[in-house]
Amino acid sequence: MSERPSLWWIDWRLSRPPLVRETIGRFLYFCLLGFALLSLLLSGGASRFLADRYAITAVLRAEVPPAGAEGLARKVAGLPPVRSAAYRDPEAAWAEFLRAYPGLDPLRGAGGNPMQGYIEIRIRPDRLTGADVDLVTSALRSVPLVEQVLAGDEWLPRLLRAGRLASLACWGIFGAFLAGFFLVGRLQERARALALAGDFAFLAERGVPARRLAFFRAAAAAVSGFLLAAAGTAAGGGALFLSLRKFPFLEGAIGPPSDLLLPRTIAAVALFSCGAALLSAAASLLGWRAARSVRK
Amino acid sequence: MTRGTGRILSAFLAAAVGLCILFPASAPAARDVAAELRKERGRLLEMKEREEKTALELTEALRKEKLSKGRVGELRERLARQRSLLSRIDRKVSVLNERLERAEKAVRELEAAHGQARTDLRRAEVVAFTGERAGAGDPCHPSARERERHFMRVYLAADAEGVARITRARERKEEELSGLERQVAVTERKRTQEKKVGDTLLSRQEEERRRLADIEREKKRKEKELKSLRAKIARMESVVSRVERQVKERERRARKGAAGGSAAREPAEDPRRFASLSGGLSAPLAGKVVTRFGRQHDTTFDVTIENRGVEIEAPSGAPVKSVGQGEVAFAGAVSGFGNVLIVQHGGGLFSVYGRLETFLVKQGEAVKKGAVVGSLPGSPSGKSVLYLELRAGGTAIDPASAIPLDR
Repeated sequence: MSERPSLWWIDWRLSRPPLVRETIGRFLYFCLLGFALLSLLLSGGASRFLADRYAITAVLRAEVPPAGAEGLARKVAGLPPVRSAAYRDPEAAWAEFLRAYPGLDPLRGAGGNPMQGYIEIRIRPDRLTGADVDLVTSALRSVPLVEQVLAGDEWLPRLLRAGRLASLACWGIFGAFLAGFFLVGRLQERARALALAGDFAFLAERGVPARRLAFFRAAAAAVSGFLLAAAGTAAGGGALFLSLRKFPFLEGAIGPPSDLLLPRTIAAVALFSCGAALLSAAASLLGWRAARSVRK
Repeated sequence: MTRGTGRILSAFLAAAVGLCILFPASAPAARDVAAELRKERGRLLEMKEREEKTALELTEALRKEKLSKGRVGELRERLARQRSLLSRIDRKVSVLNERLERAEKAVRELEAAHGQARTDLRRAEVVAFTGERAGAGDPCHPSARERERHFMRVYLAADAEGVARITRARERKEEELSGLERQVAVTERKRTQEKKVGDTLLSRQEEERRRLADIEREKKRKEKELKSLRAKIARMESVVSRVERQVKERERRARKGAAGGSAAREPAEDPRRFASLSGGLSAPLAGKVVTRFGRQHDTTFDVTIENRGVEIEAPSGAPVKSVGQGEVAFAGAVSGFGNVLIVQHGGGLFSVYGRLETFLVKQGEAVKKGAVVGSLPGSPSGKSVLYLELRAGGTAIDPASAIPLDR
């Protein structure tokens, strides 16, 4: 009985050292991409950065008591787009003002503190849009306790547009890296196909169809690509976790480490791994085809 | 004073006149005594005129003194009021000055505060401007920058409001200060005016006091003169009494001499009492006694007067009747008493009627009791006064004790 040889991992059996090198390279690359992917997923591009810097200020009337202001802050915090709402009393406002304009304190020795208390409202990063900001500001303006709402009406549209552009740029760079992975992978597959062309010709002479050979090679590339992507992303996630823990200031731009374990993050990683598998398989097929055309 | 003193002296004068009249009736032979009596009468009249003149002058001095004292009192009261007013004005000026000082101090403080506030505002504006130019606040936190700018606007607005408030307060204080200064000026002017008035009053009071002192001296001098005159009159009265006694003595001797021939025909006529007159006495007219007989105190002159008769007030022009039967011994004018009528009732009894307007009888004419002998003069007030004196044996007696008079 003739035993048909398994074509799984044919490249691994025919050319192990280069494949090991390629695998290590791809893993490292996926670590980098996974780090970037998780960073982008957590930060939402520039949204978290901008949301951390943007706040709506509801200046309260001078006669509003602290208890009323605290109650209003709690109500505002309950609005869907709002991430947090904190009341600052007039003393805190005065201290903040003096930090911004030092040297004014002795000028009002007899005049006292002219500042009112205010509520600082921060928007969720994923809800930092003009519509949501309008929703919150219109709700605040209808409250009698609020004297004025400072929502950056002049510069907010520019900020949002910059945020959108920054996000697009980030994702574009990420996509470019993915494309790079694909192109490099295709070249590697083509080179390996050319290097193993004699072996493949031998197999073809003995009745192994070239199409089947290409399929198994692509399947092996997909599996390895999936595994490498998953492992690399996990390693990148670990690195990100450690970075966020070590450098807390990064949380302002990226987000809290705990978000790494959110289901949506895991699902996104799985999807990314699948995509990487597809890209690996496509690179293998295209590399095979490119090698065949060269031989002809 | 004139009336009172005149009354005293006139009483003596009436007595003297009566004696003068009596003397020729009772002893026409004693010419030397009659001459002496006439002489004394002349001297008495002269003294009476001098006394009357002195009394008039004294009265005038007293009137002036009273007037001057009244003026001095009035001036004193006005001066007291003036001093009280000046004191009030001084207090007001003092209060106004205190308020003025406080207002000036407040204005100075407000000006200092205003200057400081303006300086602070300018510095704050500089800080705001430089901060704005330098992009104060964290550029990575635009919301915080927006809030800080809002606070800067609030700060500047509060500072500007503070400056405006101080400016308004200063303007109000300055207005108040101007008002106070005007009030002080007005009050000072008023004080000056009142002080002038006070000085004028003071000088007038001094002048009035000097005048009063002159009057006092004049009064003392007149009183002294009057006292001297009274003493002279008293002496004169003693002389007249002595002469009267001499007359009586001569009458008595004459009656004794005549007694050798006709003692059995005509018994000696002793002095009688008015009550023993045949038919008694009746009132000379219907009226009220306004001046009583005897020693009376005159409140006007603060002297004690010896009245020898009474004064009866009756309607002007009323007829005067003889109080009893007799003969008119004298009818003529006597200084200080006007027209005087003396009726001799015999037995040393005389009735004297003074201040008459007209005589209806003549000297030596016999009159009956109730016969109209004269009338009172007319007067704008409708009232006139009759002087009535009764003398018995050379002594004046109270007419009210012999005649029923309305008191």
